[in-house]
Amino acid sequence: MSGLRLEGLVAGRTGGFRLPPLDLTVEPGEILALIGPNGAGKTTLLKTLAGLLPPLAGVIVDNGAPAYLPPPGAVSAGFSALHLTALGRARLRRWSPGLTPDDLDAARGALDRLEVGDLADRPFDRLSSGQQQLVLIARLFVQDASVCLLDEPLALLDPAHAQAVEAAIRALAAEGRVLVASTHHLPFAARADRVLAVGPDGIDVADPAEALAPDRIRALFGVEVAGCPCCGQALS
Amino acid sequence: MNRVRDALLASVLVLLILAAALMVLSTGPLGVAPSALLAAVTGRGSPEAELALALRGPRLLAALTCGAALAGAGAGFQILFRNPLAAPDLLGVSSGAGLGAALALLLGAGAALVQGAAFAGGLAAGALALACAALTRSGDARLALILCGVVAGALASAGLGLVVVIADPWSQLPSITYWLLGSFTRATLPEAVGALLPVGLGAAVLIWLGFRLDILSLGDEQARSLGLPARALRLLALAAAALMTSSAVAVAGVVGWIGLLAPHAARLVVGERAGRLIPASMALGALFALVIDRLATAFGPAEIPVGLLAAAIGAPAFLILFIATSRRA
Repeated sequence: MSGLRLEGLVAGRTGGFRLPPLDLTVEPGEILALIGPNGAGKTTLLKTLAGLLPPLAGVIVDNGAPAYLPPPGAVSAGFSALHLTALGRARLRRWSPGLTPDDLDAARGALDRLEVGDLADRPFDRLSSGQQQLVLIARLFVQDASVCLLDEPLALLDPAHAQAVEAAIRALAAEGRVLVASTHHLPFAARADRVLAVGPDGIDVADPAEALAPDRIRALFGVEVAGCPCCGQALS
Repeated sequence: MNRVRDALLASVLVLLILAAALMVLSTGPLGVAPSALLAAVTGRGSPEAELALALRGPRLLAALTCGAALAGAGAGFQILFRNPLAAPDLLGVSSGAGLGAALALLLGAGAALVQGAAFAGGLAAGALALACAALTRSGDARLALILCGVVAGALASAGLGLVVVIADPWSQLPSITYWLLGSFTRATLPEAVGALLPVGLGAAVLIWLGFRLDILSLGDEQARSLGLPARALRLLALAAAALMTSSAVAVAGVVGWIGLLAPHAARLVVGERAGRLIPASMALGALFALVIDRLATAFGPAEIPVGLLAAAIGAPAFLILFIATSRRA
């Protein structure tokens, strides 16, 4: 699968804020955590990488077939979880009369793999945020995107679902996908391969230990933290 | 299992429509046995049966076609906008068609020309709404479309009001008012058959879109992220739904509620997936139109306009459906 390569990419909103230029290569299989205060531009950067927003400057040399996933609770659908998962095959079936039994089998397999196979026939809207997020990640497996851009994939989730979603994210990466996930859950960032910090002083890519050091966190968020600001868990 | 259930459901709907059609054709001031009607269809029937078929056939076909068209377009809009209140006139199509027909009636045009003007007016209003929405840079394309539809509908309504004021209150106004209230009476066989083509085309497009409509209902970002050309597909869906609505309004005038009610009833039976919801809505819409048209003639010689009946029956039925679904949820 292809990786993600950026040259002088400037993400931002037309007429609004601009992030500094970003040169970055993310290898297949790598998990990149995206941290920074609210409003720093994490979502804008993710959507730019996904091709949903135009770059203000620079180029995305390679982003394979990117898939963007909004935060938990942002997708709403009245049909079944199985159908929503099978819709991941849309790219293959763009001009076909319909989805095929193969697509449904693939969807069922992905749901089973994330241990949510029993939710297949339930309406997606009736599931909990955690269950919905697992279904949407199952769809990423079905979709076979080479670059997965996840916006706060752990937000709103209880510890069990957060663990399951993190395991699923690792499984996505283990198959050779690029994973970029924004998060305020700093222990997740600590377990990532690299951390991209978006803050008032610019954009910075570093190893987790370096990026999450107390002085860096203080500069980024403007608060003193011994551990994770949201759960107190140690960061290293 | 699902396939068997779908086939069963489809046959039940088709049988219901056939039974209702036979009932409509065979009863009334001129009673004909259903068997005689079947013989007349094959061209070897009694004079009474052939007369009943010639008198009631075009009207029946018009009711079926318009009911199916309005319900299919309504279902398409409801899926596309994820809004249970979306109706076939969402883009201002009905008001545009009304304006077209009223203008033609004002100029003293014949029936065929009125129908053509209504069709063109409906498509023009829809195109205006789509063009205005294309000019906006709103983050939510669907909101822009709804607002532009309101604008197009309001402009057409203003024009219609002007026509009503200008129209001669003795010779022209009654025909305009009657047209606007909706009726399947005026449909001739060529008109009813003529509507079949655009309605069939629009329905074929919506049914082909199927799971793509489901994806569009998730919003543009999801659709593009799943690899679909969201804008182009949505434009195709909107054009198909506007084509169906315009054809229906051109034949029958403004008949509301069918396009809102039938998809809601269908959703209770087949769920939310577009691939099943659109055909099921069309079948129920056809049935609903047929029943309403039969009721329109059931209370004596003076017909009740179907637009009025559709609202009088549709509105409470919609409320009952809504209460039923909200209690089940």
